[in-house]
Amino acid sequence: MAEETATPHSVKDDAELDSSPTKAADENVKFRDPLLSGFDRESDDDGMESLDLNASIKSDQTVSRSSSLIANFKLDEDADAETKDLFIVVDDPEKHTSTLESYITFRVQTKTNRSEFDGAELSVRRRYNDFLWLRQRLEETYCTHLVPPLPAKHSLKRLDRFSPEFLRVREGALQKFLTRLADHPVLSFDKNLFVFLTAKAWEFQAHKKQGSGIFSRVTDSLHNMGASYMMKNRPPEFVVMHEYIQTFGEKLGVMDRISQRILKESTEYLTELTEWAPCFMLWANSEDKLKASLLAMSKNIEECCKELKDMIDSTEDDFAQPLKEYILYTESVKGVLRRRDAMQMEYDMIVEELAKKKEEREQIKTSDQTYSIGAFLGKDPEDVKETKREKLEQQLVDLTQQMDMLNDRLVVANADLKADMERWHINKQRDMKEIFLNMAERNIQYYERCLEKWENTVRDIHPRNENAEDGIIVSS
Amino acid sequence: MADEENSPELNPEKITPEQNDVHADRAKPTTKMSLLQWMEITVSEPEKRTNASMKMQDTYIVYLIETRVTDENMKGYSDGATSLWRRYSEFELLKNYLETTYPTIIIPPLPEKKATYTWQNAPTDKFDPEFIERRRAALEVFLLRIASHTILSTDKIFMGFMQQDSGWKDAVYSTDFQSKAESKLKAISASFRLRKPDRRFEEVKNYANELQTNISNILKYRARMADKLYAIHKVHGNYARVFGEWSCIEKDMSEPLQSAGHYMDVLASSIDPMLEEEEHFADQLKEYLAFSDSLRSVCRKYECVQYDLERADDNLSAKAKERDLLVQGKSPGTFSLSGVKSKLFGSDTPEQRELKIKQLEEQIKQAEIELKQATQETQLHVQSALKDIERFKRQKTKDLQEIFTNYAIMQIKQCKKGIAIWTSAKDCFVKM
Repeated sequence: MAEETATPHSVKDDAELDSSPTKAADENVKFRDPLLSGFDRESDDDGMESLDLNASIKSDQTVSRSSSLIANFKLDEDADAETKDLFIVVDDPEKHTSTLESYITFRVQTKTNRSEFDGAELSVRRRYNDFLWLRQRLEETYCTHLVPPLPAKHSLKRLDRFSPEFLRVREGALQKFLTRLADHPVLSFDKNLFVFLTAKAWEFQAHKKQGSGIFSRVTDSLHNMGASYMMKNRPPEFVVMHEYIQTFGEKLGVMDRISQRILKESTEYLTELTEWAPCFMLWANSEDKLKASLLAMSKNIEECCKELKDMIDSTEDDFAQPLKEYILYTESVKGVLRRRDAMQMEYDMIVEELAKKKEEREQIKTSDQTYSIGAFLGKDPEDVKETKREKLEQQLVDLTQQMDMLNDRLVVANADLKADMERWHINKQRDMKEIFLNMAERNIQYYERCLEKWENTVRDIHPRNENAEDGIIVSS
Repeated sequence: MADEENSPELNPEKITPEQNDVHADRAKPTTKMSLLQWMEITVSEPEKRTNASMKMQDTYIVYLIETRVTDENMKGYSDGATSLWRRYSEFELLKNYLETTYPTIIIPPLPEKKATYTWQNAPTDKFDPEFIERRRAALEVFLLRIASHTILSTDKIFMGFMQQDSGWKDAVYSTDFQSKAESKLKAISASFRLRKPDRRFEEVKNYANELQTNISNILKYRARMADKLYAIHKVHGNYARVFGEWSCIEKDMSEPLQSAGHYMDVLASSIDPMLEEEEHFADQLKEYLAFSDSLRSVCRKYECVQYDLERADDNLSAKAKERDLLVQGKSPGTFSLSGVKSKLFGSDTPEQRELKIKQLEEQIKQAEIELKQATQETQLHVQSALKDIERFKRQKTKDLQEIFTNYAIMQIKQCKKGIAIWTSAKDCFVKM
């Protein structure tokens, strides 16, 4: 019985799916598609051997997932750079006013060699809600893939949603969203994405209306189940992922709070500094020989205020915002991990069920039906036994079929997720590096500019026409 | 108050408050115009002392005052250094003495009694070592400013303050300077009742008020800025901790994160020495804030002198008028005392009138002399005061330019430090 409780992990072992994607390209020969290799466990179970391979390739979903497996394992580290063949640009926000509402659309331009895009409209206009729709469909279709997050619907600073600042930040985030999709070996081929990138306005609206309610319900229920289930059999690499994402999300949250606090104090500092400059100017009014020096101080302080304001604004845009986006991204990764857990749980439950039924079947063989209800009703105990045995056999067949299907689904999901996570880690490293490099660079620039200004001020405090040279001892 | 100066420009009153030790002046060889040129004065080594008095424990700080003659031509050169201990209240006594004795000189101010314009981390307790240290530096500047003044530096009591260990206080009180101090009532009357106040002193008064307002504002905002700057730097220190925690779950990024975290700590602790230096800047501004009081004080003293002059003038006029009336044979007005007296007791006899006229003539002569004296004194007073005000203005311009320059240099240093720290952090991030 031990084999039946083995997780799909064992299958993966054989197929060497643990090898990192970087090695996959070289080890293609070792790769065995789990769907075709069957279940190489020592099994004496008749039910298992009657597996109908075709039965497992039932839905479109599974097909796309199996192709994704292959695609995933052709991925190597520089895949993005070398095989990037889909480029998307988001720009040019425009305001539209209709009778009911006003909203902003962005231009979405696509540049690609892919054949399916031949002759397609490569420049369209889309609004935020269209992006929301796209993301939702992608999540539903690929519930175990990591779909990049979208920026928040409302600005945290309660900015006017038509203000240039807000639009600039949103445009950047939408750009990143589409770029990440374009770089994804599976998601980038999605039909909905294609429609999003190419359909004309009215075509697009029509396409959107096609419902997909079933999938969303399925995802939800899976989601809920996963949340409440105590994961016992979670494969170690997913345990690691869960723990990592948990801690990473926490740390991001801490950094977000730190940056918010710094921004707050910096803004207050700027306020005080802004009040300081006029003090010197006012003083200059009652002075004669000192006038020039005081005005020099005042002017310089004003300019430092400008530099500080620039730094605060760009910290908000280039540090705080991306950090918040990553927090959202982490949340969506957690969601996908939970969905995978839910799938695993379903599978585990079936396996347990199957084991129970087999146990029952064994028991029936040796049971005495003399005191069963059927005998009580006048039936022959042997017949009762036979009926029960037949029923059980049928249940076993059904359960086995279900188990196989769930196993397939789980195997694929695990593979998808693992590949996506690895890619996610690489991107995360790159993104984090960029965010923090920018932060350091920004600070350096701020100090360099202020330094220059203060050096000028030293010169201006002592105008040349004063013979103030004598006796000035400047302490080092 | 004879002037020995040749020309204002050669005034060797260039003290440098930033340095704790002022060495003998280098430039002017011929006439020794101030004490500072041939004597070294230091205030150092603050110590706590306790007096067990009847009521309660009196704990206070004393400062060591040392002097040393640095010019071999001057007397006392071979005597070596003198040293004695003084507490803040003795400095105050010295200042009060000088203020009363030299009403036309702008006396340097003492450091504040209590900490003002503080921000969250600045010391406010008067026994805090930082506060004591800043006070010590300011007291040294006080003495150096006096020593660099041509007139003040020759004062015996001042010398005694620095060199006479016992009996100095008695010596001060025996000068009876307190009696020369103008009463407050007189000062207030003077400021309101002057008929012809000198415009120039009015301007100085206004300037002093403006100076006070301006410097107050600058100090107020600086304190708030110090608060915020402190917070910003310290919060960056939190990045160090979170980077450390984050690095535990990473592989490639682990080491760079930890190194970067170290630099965030460096950033957080860099603010402390910076703000300490900035306190020095604030102290220098506070001295000039207190100078505005000295300016106003000189103006008040002028007003009293002018008041006396005008009163002497009024006195003379009144006496002259009275005499004229008597001579003309007119009886004084019904409402004057003499008028009432004559109504009640009858008018004077011719002999009595003659006597009165003679008396008045005497009084008028006296009053004329007094008026002449007062006029002369007032003139001298005004001259001396205006001269010292000019000296003050020149000193102030130099000092403040230097103060601002030093502030700018301090900011430059801070910027360079910031660049260095963030460049190091950037180098860490590059390796992520």
